[in-house]
Amino acid sequence: MNTDRYQHISDSALLEKFSADKDNQWLGILLQRYTMLLLGVCMKYLKNEDDAKDSVQQVFLKAIAELHKYKVEYFKSWIYMVAKNHCLMKLRDRQGKRPAVLNEQTMAVEDEPLSAAAHLDKDKMLDAMSLAIEELNNEQKQCVTLFYLDKKSYTQIAETTGYSMMQVKSYIQNGKRNLKIVVERIIKKQ
Amino acid sequence: MNKDLLNILSNSSKEIDNQQLMDYLAGKLSEDEKHRVEMQLADNDFMNDALEGLENVKDKKDINFFVEQLNRDLHKKLQQKKNRKQKRKLLQQRWVYAAVIIILALIIATWLMIVKYQALKTK
Repeated sequence: MNTDRYQHISDSALLEKFSADKDNQWLGILLQRYTMLLLGVCMKYLKNEDDAKDSVQQVFLKAIAELHKYKVEYFKSWIYMVAKNHCLMKLRDRQGKRPAVLNEQTMAVEDEPLSAAAHLDKDKMLDAMSLAIEELNNEQKQCVTLFYLDKKSYTQIAETTGYSMMQVKSYIQNGKRNLKIVVERIIKKQ
Repeated sequence: MNKDLLNILSNSSKEIDNQQLMDYLAGKLSEDEKHRVEMQLADNDFMNDALEGLENVKDKKDINFFVEQLNRDLHKKLQQKKNRKQKRKLLQQRWVYAAVIIILALIIATWLMIVKYQALKTK
């Protein structure tokens, strides 16, 4: 099915169309946008190509069934949560352990921008950021600076610092998370 | 002071499409383009998890093949569901037609009986 002609329609518009006429073709177009990402998420957790493909199909079926039952507002985060939960359940079956199941709320918190900074002017924000960046540990500070300020790619940072790509990635992500926490603290103090 | 500091905490709103993701995995992007994709990765857990997983696929050429296969299956399943729904609808419609025909036949039969009964009565 050629879905290129639907590219201009947003996820939420497709969901609106589906809720208006209950035609599954809209869900097909919507889900297809995320096949590759879902395959990647399932591969990350299950580490097996056949299991991952199987899981993507099950996630599709689950999503279709759920979308018939209730309205979803943030489709992208929702489908990610469905896939992640499915994989965690599958891993639990494999290992006999109970994983922490995510819900929409916990996912939303991760994506939230800096709330305390909303009313702060740029100069104060810059001051807070400069202070906060100094509080990061050396590895995180080095990687965050090279990535965000010098605009280097992961590979370039790995070459410059001697860290592995995985380390670079995690220093950047944890550094960003820590920066957010420190900046919130500094702003609240001011 | 470096104004780019502000970019660290502002979430990037641009989306990466599948082709960009594949090009990133295949190492076809320039350092600048790579950095742009990685900026999205740092902001987006979904994309980040997906990329980590796709890196685990042994032969990267298989990714597009798997995606096409999954999409084909998805549309086949949705089409089957649609057909089943239509069949059910058709079956329901048939029952409605049958019921209408039976009721009409009964009305005509009753009317004929009444006409016949009245004709006998007048004789």
